[in-house]
Amino acid sequence: MRQKNEAARRIFRILLLLAAFGPAFITARAMAAESNVLFSPPPEESIPQGGFGDLIRHGEKIFTRTAKYAGRYTGNRLSCESCHLDRGRKAYSAPLWGAYVLYPRYRKKNHKVNSLAERIQGCFRFSMNGSATPVDGRTIKSLIAYSFWMSRGAPVGVNLKGSRMVSLPKPEKAPDPLRGKKVYVARCALCHGLGGQGRVSRGEIAFPPVWGPGSYNKGAGFYKVAKLAGFIKMNMPLSKGTTLPDQMAWDVAAYIDSQPRPDKPAPK
Amino acid sequence: MRIAIVGPVLCSLLFSFVSIPLPARAESLMDWGKHIAEAGNGDPGNTACMECHRLKGGGMPSIGSPRIAGQTRQYIAREIREVQKGKRYGPVMAGVVENLSEHDIDAVALYYSRARTPKARETEPPSSARVALGKKIAHRGIWKKNIPACVQCHGVNGSGVPPLFPYIAGQNRTYLMRQLIAYAFLERKDDPQGLMRGIARRLSAGERKAVAEYFSSLNPPQANGR
Repeated sequence: MRQKNEAARRIFRILLLLAAFGPAFITARAMAAESNVLFSPPPEESIPQGGFGDLIRHGEKIFTRTAKYAGRYTGNRLSCESCHLDRGRKAYSAPLWGAYVLYPRYRKKNHKVNSLAERIQGCFRFSMNGSATPVDGRTIKSLIAYSFWMSRGAPVGVNLKGSRMVSLPKPEKAPDPLRGKKVYVARCALCHGLGGQGRVSRGEIAFPPVWGPGSYNKGAGFYKVAKLAGFIKMNMPLSKGTTLPDQMAWDVAAYIDSQPRPDKPAPK
Repeated sequence: MRIAIVGPVLCSLLFSFVSIPLPARAESLMDWGKHIAEAGNGDPGNTACMECHRLKGGGMPSIGSPRIAGQTRQYIAREIREVQKGKRYGPVMAGVVENLSEHDIDAVALYYSRARTPKARETEPPSSARVALGKKIAHRGIWKKNIPACVQCHGVNGSGVPPLFPYIAGQNRTYLMRQLIAYAFLERKDDPQGLMRGIARRLSAGERKAVAEYFSSLNPPQANGR
């Protein structure tokens, strides 16, 4: 009896120790793979004066009003900010401070090491359903200056928390467009429209079209259900990110990507 | 040349089909809407809308009754119904709209959606410091607190995203403040998915005041109601 008590007490003590220090071990291990603090990009007010600042500010304009400032290269009226929220600053929506320190990097998509400029060309061809902006042109130079400025102070070679999109764990049930449609009608259509057409305010896109001729084409990252599901989970409905259950995020992504949209352009 | 002739002919043909039955009905609905605005629907307890919203929908900044001229028909009708259901907090409105029928609501919503009037004068001039802070929140949001830019849902410079996101530019300050407070403290519950409740709650008292003051300092969209 006494021995039993002793054993129980010992187990209790071990449990206590684990409870106290367990989280520390876990955090320490996670730190190695991923930094645990969200990087804060520099405030807008810190954009310098002069030529460099002008380039950055022009990049920001292109970023938020792409059709207006880089309309030659866009095939729809989406802006960079349609997907990279808060002018490219928001964590978990592939922020520019995360992208800048991640490139150059190898991508399976085109089986080579890509520069950031080449990656941006991809955005224009697929998500904006347009054409590749010249690597040495003003559009890309400005966007790179804007990304460069925003990533100042971000460590290189570390997988920064929130620096890309989230990969959700595989869902319990296979993503189902029919279930997704119900979620879409209840939670998404208010802004994006029952027909996925988005909404306009004074001639400018207020809520981006999520399918149809005005949306991203089949070459875009969001045409992958997993990627879209991760974005939806973390960011949608706007201001209520992370409130949708994972399964709903998967289902609604499957529904959106099952709808018609422009084809993937032929390889260059 | 050919197109130049065929075009107008086709158009007038099309319009003659579409427009014959419409004007008669729309006009009578408009007339009834205007009547309600001016004198109420005749039921006891039904006050004329113009007592607080003015005949042209400019509202009254001094008592915080909102400007409604040019809000969309769908939006005005929806808000009246939400007050009737008790989901939209409106201690004064609740009594007034209680007896409005669906037809009355349709009519008065149509009338005010087509009304046009300049901005009513605010009771005090805005503080430039609050307007500056409000402008920043309005256009950039406070993402650290998960607050998107106001204009993201309320349209370019707050001019609204039809049909259901109202314009807030040129709306009076007291009204905007009251709504933000009503959302923040959960008295107003008619916002889809609680979007405004969450946002208003995360704004500090000073930030609520600043955005209200900023949007009230702008001009309302005259051509609204598209």
